[in-house]
Amino acid sequence: MRFAMIVVASATVFTAHVLTAQTADFGKAYSFDERKPKTQIERTVHKLLPSIAKIHGASGLATIKAYATGIIVSDQGHIVTLDQILLQKDRTRVVLFDGTVHDATLIRADDKLGVRLLKIDPAGVNGKLQPLWPPAEEQSKYRNGQFVVSLGNCFRLAEFSEKVSATFGVVVGKANTALRYRMADVKYDGDIILTDACNNPGQYGGGLFTLDGRWIGLNMRLLDSKETNTMLSAALPARDLLPYLEEHVLGKKRDVVTKKVVPVWTGITLFEQAGRKSPPAYVERVKRNSPGRKLGLKIDDMIVRIDDFSIRSCKELRSVLNKYKPGDTVTVMWKRGTRVMTGDMKLAEKPKK
Amino acid sequence: MNLRPAIVLTSLLLPLTAQQGNLDEFLKLEPVLQAALKRAGPFVVTVETFGGTRHSMGKDGPTDGPAPPKPRPKPKKVEPTPVPTPDELPKPLKPGEKPKEKPGEKPSEGKQDPKNDKPEKKDKKKKLGLVATGFQQTQGKTSGIVLTSDGWIMISRFALNLNPTTILINVPGHGTYHAERVGEDTSRGIALVKIDAVGLPVPKFVHPNDVRVGQWAFALGRTFAEAEPTVHLGIVSAKNRLFGRALQIDAYTSPANYGGAVVDIHGRVLGISVPLSPSGRNAGVEWYDSGIGFATTIGDIQGLVKRMKEGQILQRAWLGVQLSTSHLGPGAKITGTPKDGAAKEAGLRKGDIILEVDGVHVLNGPHFQMLVSSRLGGETCTLIVKKKRKDEPIEVGPITLKNAPWSEQRKGKEDLPASFSLPEKEDGR
Repeated sequence: MRFAMIVVASATVFTAHVLTAQTADFGKAYSFDERKPKTQIERTVHKLLPSIAKIHGASGLATIKAYATGIIVSDQGHIVTLDQILLQKDRTRVVLFDGTVHDATLIRADDKLGVRLLKIDPAGVNGKLQPLWPPAEEQSKYRNGQFVVSLGNCFRLAEFSEKVSATFGVVVGKANTALRYRMADVKYDGDIILTDACNNPGQYGGGLFTLDGRWIGLNMRLLDSKETNTMLSAALPARDLLPYLEEHVLGKKRDVVTKKVVPVWTGITLFEQAGRKSPPAYVERVKRNSPGRKLGLKIDDMIVRIDDFSIRSCKELRSVLNKYKPGDTVTVMWKRGTRVMTGDMKLAEKPKK
Repeated sequence: MNLRPAIVLTSLLLPLTAQQGNLDEFLKLEPVLQAALKRAGPFVVTVETFGGTRHSMGKDGPTDGPAPPKPRPKPKKVEPTPVPTPDELPKPLKPGEKPKEKPGEKPSEGKQDPKNDKPEKKDKKKKLGLVATGFQQTQGKTSGIVLTSDGWIMISRFALNLNPTTILINVPGHGTYHAERVGEDTSRGIALVKIDAVGLPVPKFVHPNDVRVGQWAFALGRTFAEAEPTVHLGIVSAKNRLFGRALQIDAYTSPANYGGAVVDIHGRVLGISVPLSPSGRNAGVEWYDSGIGFATTIGDIQGLVKRMKEGQILQRAWLGVQLSTSHLGPGAKITGTPKDGAAKEAGLRKGDIILEVDGVHVLNGPHFQMLVSSRLGGETCTLIVKKKRKDEPIEVGPITLKNAPWSEQRKGKEDLPASFSLPEKEDGR
């Protein structure tokens, strides 16, 4: 009996010893801090990781994930991320680099960009936050084919103090294309950065960085291009976040431009059949003394492009013209027979009567 | 001989030198890539298509046309209809009596059982393609490359799938031109268009024999941004794919860069990226972004380009023989010759064994298939055949190969693929 007790005691001591040893080893082996980075990618990731936060929120529908990534932008605890359904009041939590969990309050989102700021209490943070800020204009330039690193918590693989995933790729190019998320259109209509670094669920809101550590983009969701119907791995240029960040983090007042919406008038009637898919923008009639007549448009001309927007259907032409206001001058490209012609058109207001 | 100290020394030194030299080696690739982009950028053009019909490309989505024809049903023996005797003639109905239907006859159109109607509705849904699977092609931009300085542009046949009414080509730094469709090669997935321009930048082409598996291959495209071409990195995965027509690359290819150039580190063109698949009739688009991409080689098809410039539509060859799967060689044994095939017209019959094609010994059935599949319709070939029940092989030919029946241009409205449009909202998510 005594012998058995001794055995049990020694066994427990032994297992306890092994466990502590293991956890200590675990810390040593997997702690990022104790290893010296050697390559350029390692150095960049090592420098940037403390600025990336994991975000956990309310789970939505089955296909909408309840996790995302954010980037710390101020030492007062501001974190920028994509505006998503998982960000709900009293349910959003932020896990910092060291594994500490913080409740976050929500700040008003920017609808156009689709980004939102969170705020955590900086008093509860161990040590100091390491914020990032969109670099100056010259610093935020990138070239096609440039190597980049994307950081984010893809598929919620990183728990507590585990570090977020780093993926490596190149900048594929800059694009300005109509975007769609699942079935709905995306409001953002500026340039996006295409990359082939993986952009998986959870990586959304993470950052895209050049190898010398410059922050060039905020990862977007896996969007579809309406032009090609293919999925894009894209990032929002970090530079475009500046007005929103300056307003809510630095307290700068943004000039709010209230526009009175006046529809533009070209005097062109398009050839369109009801109940059909919108056909290419063929001109059917041009009114006298209208901008279209001054430009020299004739019947059966096909409008192909307005400024940089390519027009593939009557519907697209209308939606593009809605972006302008009367008085603007646009460059129109049209096709007459086999000739392609261009000219400037000054948009007007619709005459009364 | 005491080698031990030397071994210890080298083993100590080797990892040091290897590590210090190679850690950031990959950074050297970036300037090389930039230089290649600079050289290759000018001749990659944007192709814009307008009009046409939108359709989905499912599992059997065609680029070469509709699926191969089904085997013809055997003609049923038509029995002479017996002349009805006066007793069998329908009698005038009494009031309140329903007409009796014969079991074989169809019910009259006006009075259909609602139960019988249901399965027909389902069939209709399938035909309309309301439940679309696979990739949906949209009207939009793709890419292309300049072939000659006097305005010949090579594009991917993918851009012409929707039968566009208008094609415009934007050459960077030169302007936008109206293009006319001239020739196509459906087996390679490429098409030639002509624009009215001169002095265009011309690329250098690499002959596929000079390509090595594992060398860098950058897939360029000019679909999204017209200022600078988009670039995807990859390597050449295999040569002589699809019967010697294409290179396989692992760079991402997608509708966003189909028609664009696949270049090496010197900016020379290895090929033009197109959606293809080995079966020859599937679109291959479903493989986009999968790491399997094809680049049709151009360095070796000068003769075909000449034919395409004349306005020919080149298609895969079809000899018209069915081969035995149990005959392991040498030679390929014929088990049948379909009616319209070139083989039947040349006098080949069931039981004949094909021993040689144009001087190449046929090892077995698949080998023979490979030899014929690499040809195009309209070409000729000479066979050496051992006829059934004869000892001496004889020469048959030259046989003019026909176009594959499934690569013919589709005719009639019923063959048009299923189409449906996605709900498009003006705003809101």
